[in-house]
Amino acid sequence: MKVRKIVTIIEEITSEGGREVNPPARVAIVAAVIENPWKGQGFVEDLSEGIEATASDVGALLAPAVLAALGATAEAYGKAAIVGLNGEIEHGSALIHTLKFGDHFRVAANATTLLPAVEKRGPAGVVFDIPLKHITDATIRSHHQSIEVRISDAPHPDELIIALAAAAQGRPQQRLADLSTEL
Amino acid sequence: MTRPSSSDAGVRKLVLYREEVLNENGSRPERPALRATVAAVIHNPWLGTGPAADLSAAAEAIAPQLAKMLTDRLIADLGGAEAIEAFGKAAIVGTAGEIEHGGALIHTPYFGNLMRDFLQGESIICFADARAEAGETLVVPMWHKSAAATRSHYQTIAARISDGPRADEIVIIAAASTGPRPHARIGDRKTDPIIRAKDLESALA
Repeated sequence: MKVRKIVTIIEEITSEGGREVNPPARVAIVAAVIENPWKGQGFVEDLSEGIEATASDVGALLAPAVLAALGATAEAYGKAAIVGLNGEIEHGSALIHTLKFGDHFRVAANATTLLPAVEKRGPAGVVFDIPLKHITDATIRSHHQSIEVRISDAPHPDELIIALAAAAQGRPQQRLADLSTEL
Repeated sequence: MTRPSSSDAGVRKLVLYREEVLNENGSRPERPALRATVAAVIHNPWLGTGPAADLSAAAEAIAPQLAKMLTDRLIADLGGAEAIEAFGKAAIVGTAGEIEHGGALIHTPYFGNLMRDFLQGESIICFADARAEAGETLVVPMWHKSAAATRSHYQTIAARISDGPRADEIVIIAAASTGPRPHARIGDRKTDPIIRAKDLESALA
């Protein structure tokens, strides 16, 4: 795995809707900008070699880093694969839609649900939103949220951004009735 | 209906962006630097005041708090004030404010002198400013904190808050780096030959 740079983003929301948020709502993202393992190879039918070489390593790099950046127990989480313009969406999906990638985060966060994801192809500086859901019950409505990310010079055409996001709580000022009240 | 305002709680949000370049143009920099911005989204305290309004009282009240908050985060996330080698600052003013409002918060001693003290620097702090809609990217310049003309440390970092500033807000940004550009190799004032326009007549012809 060739990593060009690591980006860490931490958002703390201290006011929302004109009211204080206390404690501040905290969301962290760690992203690795890596070389596309299938760079320059044309259409590769079997992606398993690149998955084996990269997916677990990038998951092992990002999972502890995003939890350290959050500095709190994660209650919601999500992931992203943003593919440079020379690659296929399938390349990004190959690296994040495997237990080899996500289990690093699930184990470290004591989580059980599948990670919600964004997969997107774009130029350097493309804006993307990472969806987050509750780590043990994806129906918990208070924790449905997303966070916007932009890295000004990534991904290059032959790169991928692989990212994990973690939130210490649900939405600030969350006050929707539980899903069960509508069933 | 009145729109929710950040004024009720001061700072609406605080955002850290940090990056570490491990590889540039195929090889690892000799000193991989951490670069970061910390941005606070605040309510514009001068909304509705005219162009003759005295900005000093609010600036003296607010700017020191911002300098402390932003530099505390930079110091915590970059490994200490001693590790920081370059710095910069910026303001993005929402569309209902004046550029002068941003300037009042970053260009007076109540912000700049404190930021310099907290980061243990001596240089004037370089800056960028803009009046913009939420989500605008502003490129923030940095230079060496104690020897501003150190060419290896001329660098920038992009800052952007997806939902700020609202029209009635200001984003105040402090930026810092723990080292030079990756593969810095364009000399320095100490090594430059003396170059004058008349020496370059052939190149300019």
